[in-house]
Amino acid sequence: MITPIKALRKNRFKTALIFISMSVSIAAIFLISAISGGVVSMYSAMLKTDGDIIVTQKGIADTFFSDINRSLSVSIEKMEGVKEASALILGAAPVDPLPIVGIYGASENRYKSYLLKQGTYPKSGEVMLGSKIYETLKKPTKIVLSKKTFVVSGVFKSRIGFEDGGVVMNLTDAGELFHKSASIFLISLDDLGKSEGIVKQINSLSSDIEAKTTESFIDSYNQFKIIKTSSDVIGAMAFLMGILGIVSMMSMVVNDRKGEFGIMRSIGLSSTTIIVKLLSETLIIAILAYAVALGASLGILEMIEHADKFQGYINGEITAALMIKVFIVSVTMALFGTLLPAVYASRIDPMSLIQRGGA
Amino acid sequence: MKIEARGLEHFYGHEKVLNGVDIEILPGSFTAIIGESGSGKTTVLSILSTLLQPSLGSVRYDGKLLNELGNIDHFRQHNIGFVFQFHYLISYLTLRENIALAALDATLIDPLMGSLGIERLGKRYSDEVSGGERQRAAIARALINHPSVVFADEPTGNLDSKNALGVYELFREFSRAGTGFVVASHDKKIADYADVIIEMEDGIVKQIHK
Ligand SMILES: Nc1ncnc2c1ncn2[C@@H]1O[C@H](COP(=O)(O)OP(=O)(O)OP(=O)(O)O)[C@@H](O)[C@H]1O
Ligand SMILES: [Mg+2]
Repeated sequence: MITPIKALRKNRFKTALIFISMSVSIAAIFLISAISGGVVSMYSAMLKTDGDIIVTQKGIADTFFSDINRSLSVSIEKMEGVKEASALILGAAPVDPLPIVGIYGASENRYKSYLLKQGTYPKSGEVMLGSKIYETLKKPTKIVLSKKTFVVSGVFKSRIGFEDGGVVMNLTDAGELFHKSASIFLISLDDLGKSEGIVKQINSLSSDIEAKTTESFIDSYNQFKIIKTSSDVIGAMAFLMGILGIVSMMSMVVNDRKGEFGIMRSIGLSSTTIIVKLLSETLIIAILAYAVALGASLGILEMIEHADKFQGYINGEITAALMIKVFIVSVTMALFGTLLPAVYASRIDPMSLIQRGGA
Repeated sequence: MKIEARGLEHFYGHEKVLNGVDIEILPGSFTAIIGESGSGKTTVLSILSTLLQPSLGSVRYDGKLLNELGNIDHFRQHNIGFVFQFHYLISYLTLRENIALAALDATLIDPLMGSLGIERLGKRYSDEVSGGERQRAAIARALINHPSVVFADEPTGNLDSKNALGVYELFREFSRAGTGFVVASHDKKIADYADVIIEMEDGIVKQIHK
C-alpha cells in the first residue's frame, strides 16, 4: 500500500483533480438521493400518521387538485371497522412576506395530531401556525390570507417538516378559501387486515372518489414517481460525469507515466500487476473522496434544513442504506473509470523505451 | 543462455532495414554491437531481446523459439535484463525501492548495490543522485534477478566519458561472473572491454571481431 500512496503524492496535481471531481460527483449523488428521499418520506409520513386509507377524487394527478364531497366522510365513519375519518383540504397561498405557504384545512377530529405548543386549536376565523412559520413571521397575532384576516389562535409542533412550516385552519374556512369541499379523507381503521374490504365499500359510495390503502397510494402516487425518477436520472448523470472525469484524468496520468509502466513490463511485471496498481491508486482516492463527500453532504443538508428560506420543506436524510449504496457507487465509479486507462498502461510496449538513434 | 539468430530481415513499413543477419551470442559473453547511425543496431538488439518480432528469420534461446518459451513476462523476469539510454527509474520511489520492484529475492538487493558502489544511496530519489549513479541503479535493477543476459541500447549515451568507461568496466566484471551482455553503442571505446564486437553496416553484419 505504500507504493500507490507514493505515486499519488508524486502526481499531486492530477491526484487532486481526480479527488475533487470524484468528491463533487459523490456529493451530488448523496444530496439528490437524500433530498428526494426526504421529500417523499416526509409527505408519506404525513399521510401515514392517521390514515390507513386515503380517499381522493378519482383520476387526479396531484392531491392539490382533488375535490371531493366532505359529507361523504360522515358515511364512511359509520362503516364497520372504521375508527375515524378526517377530511383535509390541501392548499397553498402567499402569506406576506412569504411567497407560498402550505395551508391545511382540517376537520376537528384531526386537530389532535398537531401537538399544541401554545394557545388553542383554531375556531372559525382563526388559524394555528406551525412552530417554524410562527418564528419566520416573527410571532404574529394575525395573518392575512387572500385578503381575509385570520387571528392566530395557537402554535403547534409537528415532526413533519411540511406541516411545521404551514398554516392549519378549520375545514369550512379552508373550503371558502380554496373553493372546494375537501381534498382528501384520511381514514384510520380498527384492524388493518380488513382494509381491502373497506376500500371496496368506500369506492362503491360514489363514482367520483377513489380509495386506496395509504401504502398503495404512496406506491402509485405520480408525484413521488416523478421525484424518484428525476433523482435517479440526475444521480446517474453525476455517476457518468464522475466516470468520465476519472477516465480523462487517468489517461493523462498514464501518458505521463508511460516510462514507468514500460519499465515494469520490461522487468517482467505482469499486465495484471500494473492494472491492480492503478486501480488501487484510484480506489484510495475514491475512499477519501467518499468520506469528504459524505461529510460535506451532511453539512449541506444540515444547512438546508435550518435555512428559513425552505421553511423545513427540504429535509434530506442520509440513511445507513444510502451510505452503503453510495459507497458501492463510488467504488464502482473508480474501478470503471480507471479500467480502460489501466489496461492501456498494462499494454505499453517496452520497445517504446528504446531510443532509436536518429529517429 | 545461448542465443542464435538466423536470417533476420526486418521492414519498417516498406523500408527494409535488416538484410539477412546471422548472430550467435554465447552464454556469459560481453557482445558489443557497433556501427554507423541507422545501420540497424537498435533493431537487432530489440529482436534479440524479445521486444521486436523480426519480419523474417528466427531467434532461438537455448534452442527454443520465442513462442515455445511460454509466458513472456515470466521469461523476461527470469532470463533477461534491460538497460536503456534513459534510466527510467521511477521518480517517486527511492533507488532501493526501484530495484526492489524488480527483485524476486529481496536479500540480494543490498549486496548488489554494494558491488555497484551505490549502497549509500538507497534512500535517495533519482533526482537526488548523479547521472552515473542513476545509470548504476538502473543496471542494478537489470541485474537483480541474475538474468542470463542483459540487453543495453546506448547505455552510456547520456554519460560523460569517465562514467561511460565505468559502466563498461561493470559490464566486463559481471560478465566474468557469468552474466551475458549485449550492448548496442556508438562508442568505439566499448571495443576495449567486449569479448565480441559485431560491426553493422546498412542492415547487415559487416564484420565480427573476437
Ligand atoms: N520505428 C521505425 N519506423 C521506421 N523506421 C525506423 C524505425 N526504427 C528505425 N527505423 C529505421 O531503421 C533503420 C535502422 O534503425 P536503428 O534504430 O536500428 O539504427 P541504429 O543503428 O540503432 O541507429 P543509431 O545509432 O542512430 O541508434 C534506420 O534507417 C531508421 O531510420
Ligand atoms: Mg540505436
